[in-house]
Amino acid sequence: MIRLENVTKTYGTEIPAVRDASFEIAKGEFVFMVGPSGSGKSTLLRLMNRQEQPERGEVWVAGKDINAMPDSKVPYLRRNIGNIFQDYKLLLNKTVFENVAFALEVIGRPKHVIRQQVPAVLDLVGLSDKEDRFPHQLSGGEQQRVSIARAFVNRPLILLADEPTGNLDPATGEGIMRLLDRINNTGTTVVMATHDQRIVNMMRRRVVQLDRGVIVRDQERGVYD
Amino acid sequence: MIARISYAFRETWASFKRNVTLTMAAVITSAVSLLLVGSTFLIQRAFDNLLTRWKGDVELIVYVRSDADPNQIQVIEDALKSQPSIIDVTKLRYLDQAESYAEAQKLFAGDPGTLRLLTPENIPSQFKVVPISQDSNLIRELGEQFRGLAGVREVAYAQDVFDVVARVSQFIRIATTAMSIVLLVVAVGLIWNTIRTAMFARRREIEVMKLVGATNWFIRIPFMLEGLLQGLIGGVLSCLGLWGLNSAWSGAVADFNDTELAALVVTDGYMRFVMIILLGIGAIAGAVGSGIAASRFLDV
Repeated sequence: MIRLENVTKTYGTEIPAVRDASFEIAKGEFVFMVGPSGSGKSTLLRLMNRQEQPERGEVWVAGKDINAMPDSKVPYLRRNIGNIFQDYKLLLNKTVFENVAFALEVIGRPKHVIRQQVPAVLDLVGLSDKEDRFPHQLSGGEQQRVSIARAFVNRPLILLADEPTGNLDPATGEGIMRLLDRINNTGTTVVMATHDQRIVNMMRRRVVQLDRGVIVRDQERGVYD
Repeated sequence: MIARISYAFRETWASFKRNVTLTMAAVITSAVSLLLVGSTFLIQRAFDNLLTRWKGDVELIVYVRSDADPNQIQVIEDALKSQPSIIDVTKLRYLDQAESYAEAQKLFAGDPGTLRLLTPENIPSQFKVVPISQDSNLIRELGEQFRGLAGVREVAYAQDVFDVVARVSQFIRIATTAMSIVLLVVAVGLIWNTIRTAMFARRREIEVMKLVGATNWFIRIPFMLEGLLQGLIGGVLSCLGLWGLNSAWSGAVADFNDTELAALVVTDGYMRFVMIILLGIGAIAGAVGSGIAASRFLDV
């Protein structure tokens, strides 16, 4: 599903954020990218949906070399990739329903599809009763569930999660992980960057560890270390 | 498709309301610049009208001294009539002092100082000459012959006046064109800036849109529509202004019925043509300005 071949990414003239990284993620896998702040986890995720382009190396997603495709094709690539962030990135002037519907609306999905899909995905994340709330009326965990609903409403092949539990207390974070696990069980590939040791150790999934832009460990059913 | 169109219009309207002040500035600037563009067109057309009328019957005027005796006047008239190959003898007109004075009353209506110096006694009488020949050199040669005749005070060529009018009209054309270009650039800049502000206000939405896979055109179109609308509203305002100006001008000029000034008007058909041009320029300038801004700030 995702394959990186000798990828190097440098910001400005500094030392590379990612150096000569190669690995492959199979369809339906759940992978943790771990390492301290600035080790290149987020950059790796941003390389996977072409928010960044590498100096060297290739990034293959769903059978395509995504840096070889023209800019005009990038939106269609991204429709297959959901994104979740530490700070949720919800639109504050829109309700829960509208935030999720927005993701379908802006890729031109008709109204009747939106009316059908949005309640279904809100049911999945457990927010059916909060459709009309605004983000500031929700707890952090609930806001993250809205953002997961938005990322998943289009049934993407891949979910990229950048520190999704970073702003949440441990119990709420565990709830989010259970939700991501369920989404993973539907066949969606999940790649999650985190430095939350407890969660990595609890889940027992594949772990790719980074240190100053270099992959130092790639382990099935790993722990944080 | 319908969902996309309604989305675009909804977003355009919301953004319009959000940036009232900047939108007003952009609209007013484009209105003023388009008004100037339109005025350039109309002034040009009016001068063309004026000059065409002169072109039809280019006149040579032989002014006769106010103290000339009837004999001398007769000599001049005979001399003119002896050149039927150059001048149209049937259209030769003699304006005596009373008639010349009456004409001067109209010609110098806007110049009371000059008018006060003129009396029916000191004003020169004149022969108005309509040439047959189109050769202006020939006409000029003929005119020079008359300069030497007794009783002739001055020989004037419409050609000279024509040149002055042409020069004035060219100056006005260059000046108004330059001003309207500058203002048009300012208007595009203001529209550009409005769109930039609108995009900055919505940067979170744009970020999310890009991440969930909205195409650049989908993101851009509401902003371009907003710019286009600003240009178009500016165009409509400028058309109203131009129409008002032209009506006022035509009304004022109508009082000078018998003089050349009355030719300085523009008819309705041309007015309509200019209005369509203004709306077109407004719409295009708005769409292009906002389109460039939208593309430039869409690189996330």
